[in-house]
Amino acid sequence: MKKMLAAAVSRVLSRVAQKPASGVLVASCNYSNDATFEIKKCDLYQLEEGPPVTTVLTREDGLKYYRMMQTIRRMELKADQLYKQKFIRGFCHLCDGQEACCVGLEAGINPTDHVITSYRAHGLCSARGLSVRAILAELTGRRGGCAKGKGGSMHMYAKNFYGGNGIVGAQGPLGAGVALACKYKGKKEVCLTLYGDGAANQGQIFEAYNMAALWKLPCVFVCENNLYGMGTSAERAAASTDYYKRGHFIPGLRVDGMDVLCVREATRFAADYCRSEKGPIVMELQTYRYHGHSMSDPGVSYRTRQEIQNVRSKSDPIMLLKDRMVNSKLATVEEFKEIDVEVRKEIDDAANFATTDLEPPLEELGHHIYCNNPPFEVRGASQWIKFKSLS
Amino acid sequence: MAALAALAATVGGLLRLRAAGAEGQWRRLRGAGLLRGLLQPDSATGVAAQRRHVAHFTFQPDPEPQEYGQTQKMNLFQAITSALDNSLAKDPTAVIFGEDVAFGGVFRCTVGLRDKYGKDRVFNTPLCEQGIVGFGIGVAVTGATAIAEIQFADYIFPAFDQIVNEAAKYRYRSGDLFNCGSLTIRAPWGCVGHGALYHSQSPEAFFAHCPGIKVVVPRSPFQAKGLLLSCIEDKNPCIFFEPKILYRAAVEQVPVEPYNIPLSQAEVIQEGSDVTLVAWGTQVHVIREVASMAQEKLGVSCEVIDLRTILPWDMDTVCK
Repeated sequence: MKKMLAAAVSRVLSRVAQKPASGVLVASCNYSNDATFEIKKCDLYQLEEGPPVTTVLTREDGLKYYRMMQTIRRMELKADQLYKQKFIRGFCHLCDGQEACCVGLEAGINPTDHVITSYRAHGLCSARGLSVRAILAELTGRRGGCAKGKGGSMHMYAKNFYGGNGIVGAQGPLGAGVALACKYKGKKEVCLTLYGDGAANQGQIFEAYNMAALWKLPCVFVCENNLYGMGTSAERAAASTDYYKRGHFIPGLRVDGMDVLCVREATRFAADYCRSEKGPIVMELQTYRYHGHSMSDPGVSYRTRQEIQNVRSKSDPIMLLKDRMVNSKLATVEEFKEIDVEVRKEIDDAANFATTDLEPPLEELGHHIYCNNPPFEVRGASQWIKFKSLS
Repeated sequence: MAALAALAATVGGLLRLRAAGAEGQWRRLRGAGLLRGLLQPDSATGVAAQRRHVAHFTFQPDPEPQEYGQTQKMNLFQAITSALDNSLAKDPTAVIFGEDVAFGGVFRCTVGLRDKYGKDRVFNTPLCEQGIVGFGIGVAVTGATAIAEIQFADYIFPAFDQIVNEAAKYRYRSGDLFNCGSLTIRAPWGCVGHGALYHSQSPEAFFAHCPGIKVVVPRSPFQAKGLLLSCIEDKNPCIFFEPKILYRAAVEQVPVEPYNIPLSQAEVIQEGSDVTLVAWGTQVHVIREVASMAQEKLGVSCEVIDLRTILPWDMDTVCK
């Protein structure tokens, strides 16, 4: 009964224009512990039914998702700053705008499930449990980084998170392989194999589809469609932009990737599908990135600033979650502000660490090329520069 | 023979000297331009913090060529654009394709070509290297001139099978009935300092043992235009690696009209009598510096050879 009332209230409130919650409300506010929200129906391909169209969000979960998304957002913006200050060199691909994908995917699976993605990986690293310190230190190439400073932006790893891969599409067959291991071990784990709209045209992805379908591997192929493959819009690169249908003999669903709850439900659905040994499934997340492809891409030569601004004002994932929660009295604006302050502090501390930590020692440059080999010497930039390689 | 070995040892010592000097000069460049950073000696910044490596050379332009008509100041990517422009003008079947070539390419090598020659001659492909090269082989087999671009040499590996197993062996296995000789594959090549694993590779060695294809690496804009035009006109599939660090850094007077530099011909850049130094691409400039250091400090006369074509390589010039 209470749930129905809460649902009715939330429905009414979500139709009312955003009303600012004043400070007075806090003392007498009777928070609901959870609320039911309606979410967008997913387009289905070769599926009889899809994820549910309503979902229950508890206050605790909501605050957790908000914190995770805000952490990712702030972390990416801090990385932008550090790059411009030349603390981060090389390549840096930021995923702000796509926070709902990272957090929603993580929310829909268990920590024992596996994830692999391509180079736009910072958000997923954070969602998978890496601390902001470890991520930022890896970006600045210091010892405290998650790959000991040797990987950088594109090569970050964590438990059950296989990176971080530079070559687009190469992670497709890898993910299928991880899924095979999951099936073999019999613990009902799944593997989320992420790739983008550009990579969706690589041959390797289709090879992975075939193997996964043939052997019924518990692999969820997730296409993060942010509409642009570097500077090429999806329509100019793909004969069919219905990426969720590209698995052909693999069922698929298309999900609103800016709504964390939608992504969560779809991920749960897809993971359950795989866990019940029905084989692989393709999930297309329709999302958007605010930054350009990488830090050397201003991001406005192939799309208008107006478009970016539109998405930011209408479908920003953090804003959507916050509005929902405030309107259904799951939390107050003040609480969110508190979380913002805490996150900001965490990021600043992490950035401080990342800029002051030591770089890995030069002697370690040649390590970990092989395993279990007697130590040997590896040639550096000329025959007379040698690094000792220990495994 | 012993003298040769001894001289080799001294040159070795020299390179070691240079390497040690290079180590001392490694330092973090905060926004400093590449050449500007290189020419400044390192002050006593202390040994404590580890410093980043920076690609270390000074581009040495060749004197203005007189025999090809009017020249214009061009950097490497402009020389490439000029070569492609000449090709598309001369050969009506020539097409250029690859990732992002339509707007001009990520290194501006194809700027203006689509506007000039139309969108059915200069067009983008989706993200699929194996597809790009395979498609290029198909275009070439029908007789049209295919100029395929692989966005970075590091990405050439999905296409490795197509190059080695299909392109290289086409003429041989069809008994000269068919061939894909009008295929040229261009790719930015070599390190830049911040490219890391996937924007720095020099994969010419992987192709160096594959009969049927030609592999070419130029050292400068003038060389690049002539060699690229030769590759395009050559009746064998060619891979043309363009040192990306030279795209903007190398500026020379380059003839505006088309001209050819023969393939499989190495160039002796500097005569010498004591030891031969062979290099290609960016390293040619490093080796030139080494040669002058050797002359100065050790009195060793070095012959510097730019190999230019890696496969089939000019054995005669090198061994002479």
